[in-house]
Amino acid sequence: MAQAQDNKPLFIISGILIVYALIASSGMLHPLMKYLHTAKTSDLQVTMGFICGGIGILGAIINSVRKPGNTIIDRFVLQPLPGILLILLMAMAIRWYVEPIVKLISHNLQPVLGFKIYKVLNLNYVVLGLLAGVLLTNTYGIPKFAAAGVKCARFVLKMGVIMLGARYSFAELAKLGTYSIFLVGTFVLGTVFFVLWLGNLFKQPKTMTGVLSAGMGVCGVSATVAVAPVVKAKSEEMAYTIGTILSFGIICMFVFPTIGHWAGMNPVQFGAWAGTGILNSAQVAAAALAFNAVDIKTLKVAEIFNITRVLFLPIIVLVLATWFGKETGKKLTFKEVVIDKFPIFIIGFLLLFAMSSMGLFSPPTHYKGKFIDFSYNDRSQITDKEWETLNDALKSNEIKGLSEEQMAAVTDLIAQRQIAGNYENRADKKVFNKQGEDRMFQLESVLAAAKAKEITLGKDVKGVIKHAIKQVHKKSKTVTTLTDCMIWFFAFGLIGLGMQITKKAILQAGGWPLAIGVISGVTKAVLSFFVVLWLVKDVVLK
Amino acid sequence: MHAEHLVFAELCARAPDLQVTVLTIIDQDWQAMTGDDWLNSSKTHATFLDHVERQMQEENEEDWQRIKETYPAAAGAVFTGVVGPIEETIAAQAKKRACDLIVIGPYRQSRRLFNLKMEKGLRARIDTAKLHPALPCPLLIAPPLLSAD
Repeated sequence: MAQAQDNKPLFIISGILIVYALIASSGMLHPLMKYLHTAKTSDLQVTMGFICGGIGILGAIINSVRKPGNTIIDRFVLQPLPGILLILLMAMAIRWYVEPIVKLISHNLQPVLGFKIYKVLNLNYVVLGLLAGVLLTNTYGIPKFAAAGVKCARFVLKMGVIMLGARYSFAELAKLGTYSIFLVGTFVLGTVFFVLWLGNLFKQPKTMTGVLSAGMGVCGVSATVAVAPVVKAKSEEMAYTIGTILSFGIICMFVFPTIGHWAGMNPVQFGAWAGTGILNSAQVAAAALAFNAVDIKTLKVAEIFNITRVLFLPIIVLVLATWFGKETGKKLTFKEVVIDKFPIFIIGFLLLFAMSSMGLFSPPTHYKGKFIDFSYNDRSQITDKEWETLNDALKSNEIKGLSEEQMAAVTDLIAQRQIAGNYENRADKKVFNKQGEDRMFQLESVLAAAKAKEITLGKDVKGVIKHAIKQVHKKSKTVTTLTDCMIWFFAFGLIGLGMQITKKAILQAGGWPLAIGVISGVTKAVLSFFVVLWLVKDVVLK
Repeated sequence: MHAEHLVFAELCARAPDLQVTVLTIIDQDWQAMTGDDWLNSSKTHATFLDHVERQMQEENEEDWQRIKETYPAAAGAVFTGVVGPIEETIAAQAKKRACDLIVIGPYRQSRRLFNLKMEKGLRARIDTAKLHPALPCPLLIAPPLLSAD
């Protein structure tokens, strides 16, 4: 009985998920979902509620009837399950309720404020999730029952990156890899040496500048953790450095996407800038998804930069170990410096990339536009910005000369944010797909008419229609499933990671590390911004 | 600094037979400092935490040496370092050692953000609301030394 008491939180969370799925499947929530523009995902909401709730109940029963052990299943499934389900519940609530409500409030406040808060602060489900995690851990604290599950966030984020490997082509990886090696190489090494120089200028101890240079140059706290034992950093030096990096990184996470939108950066440029300028790799992923969470183009670019940075970590550790070894006379082995620091999950990423490139997930015909997917998912939608462009153009009568059917297709694209059949026909795939095909045909004819100069369409409007058509081109089912899982993995991982960003760690910032960190961090962000705008051109991404 | 002065310069002078334990706590929040790091392996994490513990131990020993050199009365004291949450560890150690009195220093305002000179260790303060209900014996807070600031 006592064991059943211990599993009470798991029973409660699982119960909430199942009850929610039951209510949602009854259609009672449909008007609310429609109001919040989440009705298209109602099937997914029900499925996830039943599956996650069912797994939770099963886990709670197993935990109640048998004594907890130390097996792999105990450590990696049964013990973390309450925490995993708590984060999943938070992710679902944020994605389907909090984000739409924040958008509605921002929209209603626009006449008073003159701007939309969610746009300025990029408050999409990823950023809101991370903030919810930070808020929970710094107010109520992580509930004891969830502690083991929260620790899984790191593993889940790595799984997200591994799955992302299936979404690159050779051409993309070659092009983005060239950009990233050049930019990351220049700015990582540049920042490391700049911080070392600043430390020398301000007469700071080498142990402090060593650990700070890695944190500011490579990948934030991760680099600090990897380098601190190598350069024998003192306790206060590690504390000040971690505090400085965390606070600077959180500010960057909000500021970068806003500046990126303001400067009109494309996904490739923003991904490259965030991947070079933001310190912590988790915040790079969050900023990329804050810039654009509808499709994963920005994330794809940012993660290549992230991976390149991580690959630079052993090199930087080697450089600093050599530099520090000269000071102390202590020699470190190649294994200690490079092999132990090599991020093994990158092998998984490369493996999935290789499998994808060999056509294991997606036959070549999938990329020839032959297969069309009208099903409801975020991936098939146009972006918020595109939706506004099209909506404004229609309202201001900019779209003229269209036939009744063409106009209906444009109006429906605004209503559904994607090319699809009628929502009420979604159960009948034949009718639903036929309606989608007709609408796509009409939109293609709009583009053809514009090309033939029969009608005049703005460049932006043409771009939106082209993108809407491109979005419904069917990808391989395996790749689609991997992408959907990956988005959830990132959302889950970032909430869990948010739960590990404590006020206490942030408040450690100060002193010379803060002064040198701000100088080097701002310099890196500003210089990389201009270099990216000058150097990085758009890359056609799948 | 304030507590050690009160104990070794004043209390020990009045009662030379006093048995003193100098307790230095390595704040377990160090584990939370790596929270945002998701790239490193658990081995790198463990190496980092081992380094922190070793480093703190070295720093504690330096501090203990300074106390012994400053106050002759400290020669007979027991010096110990424990990893854990601050308030719970103070209470647990006092109970374990059957202490009659706990002496701590006064509250110190952190000037980390605006002071270029670095303070030692983590920016952590004792939470009196957490400590008071757990106390097994009286608690004495040393007044600030005028010369210390």
